Amino acid sequence: MIHNLQIHKTLMYICPMYSSELIKGTLKTIILKLLSENKEMYGYEITQKVKDLTDNKIQITEGALYPTLHALENDGIVTTEIVNIGKRVRKYYKLTPKGKNSATEKVTEFADFINTMKFLLDIKPQLG
Amino acid sequence: MYTLSDQQIDFILNDIKLRGVEMEDLQLNLLDHICCIIECELEQEGDFEDFYHKTIPKFFKKELKEIEEETKLLLTFKNFYAMKKTMIRTGIFSAITIVLGSFFKVMHWPGAGALLVLGIGSISLLFLPLMIILKTKDTSNKRDKFVLASSGAVGFFLCWATLFAVMHWPGNGIFWIIAICISAFVLIPVYFFTGIRNPETKLNTIVTTVVLVGATGLQFTMLNIRPAVKQTQIKMYSYIQGEELLKKIQNSSSGRTLESASRSIIVENINNKAEQIKSMIIMNAIGESKIPKNFESEGHFIEEGNLGINFFDNGKGIKLLSDLKAEINKYNASGGMNMENKIPIDHSVLDIEFDKIGRYSNYSVLNSITQIQMYLATAENKLTAFK
Repeated sequence: MIHNLQIHKTLMYICPMYSSELIKGTLKTIILKLLSENKEMYGYEITQKVKDLTDNKIQITEGALYPTLHALENDGIVTTEIVNIGKRVRKYYKLTPKGKNSATEKVTEFADFINTMKFLLDIKPQLG
Repeated sequence: MYTLSDQQIDFILNDIKLRGVEMEDLQLNLLDHICCIIECELEQEGDFEDFYHKTIPKFFKKELKEIEEETKLLLTFKNFYAMKKTMIRTGIFSAITIVLGSFFKVMHWPGAGALLVLGIGSISLLFLPLMIILKTKDTSNKRDKFVLASSGAVGFFLCWATLFAVMHWPGNGIFWIIAICISAFVLIPVYFFTGIRNPETKLNTIVTTVVLVGATGLQFTMLNIRPAVKQTQIKMYSYIQGEELLKKIQNSSSGRTLESASRSIIVENINNKAEQIKSMIIMNAIGESKIPKNFESEGHFIEEGNLGINFFDNGKGIKLLSDLKAEINKYNASGGMNMENKIPIDHSVLDIEFDKIGRYSNYSVLNSITQIQMYLATAENKLTAFK
């Protein structure tokens, strides 16, 4: 129950065109997938990438992104590198070996979930 | 593309801090993020302050520190399963040690105190706080959180009141009163008046309130029927008076020479055994073999209680009592002893079956032993006075 509550709270910060139920628990998967495809990324870059890739359909807000990134760092899934940009610093995130496995697992699990849902809801592939 | 000046970066960082974000990592992340937005979305000639004040509200619903709260929540959530496991383990451990400790206490077996301290300590310091933390996370309702926290406080103080009472430590009354006050003046009113307004929880609120009022009432009654300090004081004073009287009688015969050396040894033995038995009882009650002079200020009152089946140290007390009885019989049978000077065993603690001694109260045994010693001292006074 707590788990659902946490996810729900996190989703309040995501502004998708999809209903929150649809994207429950996908934030970590999205971040891990992006980090596995890009060597290292910083927060703003992640939000922009998601926005671009989904054609603005999914927008990750700062309120959802940073708590998740901190949690991933705390879990040893991502590691950080600090780079000075003039007066400010930028924190780059990259996957640890554990994070790489975790990214693969999460994506596989999600793909499997989609297939199951397709079968369950009897969704036919749309032509054109 | 807008170029931010150092002053503007400082301004943003200060604003982030002022808005309640304390984690340095998060401050730096947010600073860079805001700077990126401004640099990418604000035109070179744009109004920095206006744009900043329009941008920052997009980061939160009510206030910026929500992000930090969410971060902390996620970091704590990671420990959820560990906390849950610890809660279950400490719960089981506390339950077992408390049950064992109470049983040991009733049987007067050694280790009862340690078990109770461990059990009550772990339930109040680990199990209860963990349960409250996990339960409050489960609900977003402020009323439920408050009710949980106040019931946790009541539980905590009840645990400590019980521990202090069982261990005869001073100050247990204060814990009882605090627990009852929180329950009567905070928990019950808040629970009742907030729950009764909601038609869905109305019935449940009434039922639970009745149970809570009943439980608090019972606690209050128990506080009232617990022996008042004055009552314990009177018993203690009465025992001390008896002891002083005994010393007075014993002192009045000192310096006289006993006509029989063998009787002198018996007298010494009787007094020795009697003192050992009394020391054991006092030690068990207050943790010291003799009542200290400042027992009132230290709160070292002997609470009245049964001796227990084994009468301390695996029946050492019972052995001493039977030895004492044997010595008294020897004394009574010694040569030249008339009926008047014999120590009466009838109606004394030595008259009962020793396997039932555990049912007798510590005060009745203490006083009975002192009386035996008084009989002995009086008899010796008479016997030596006639010589």
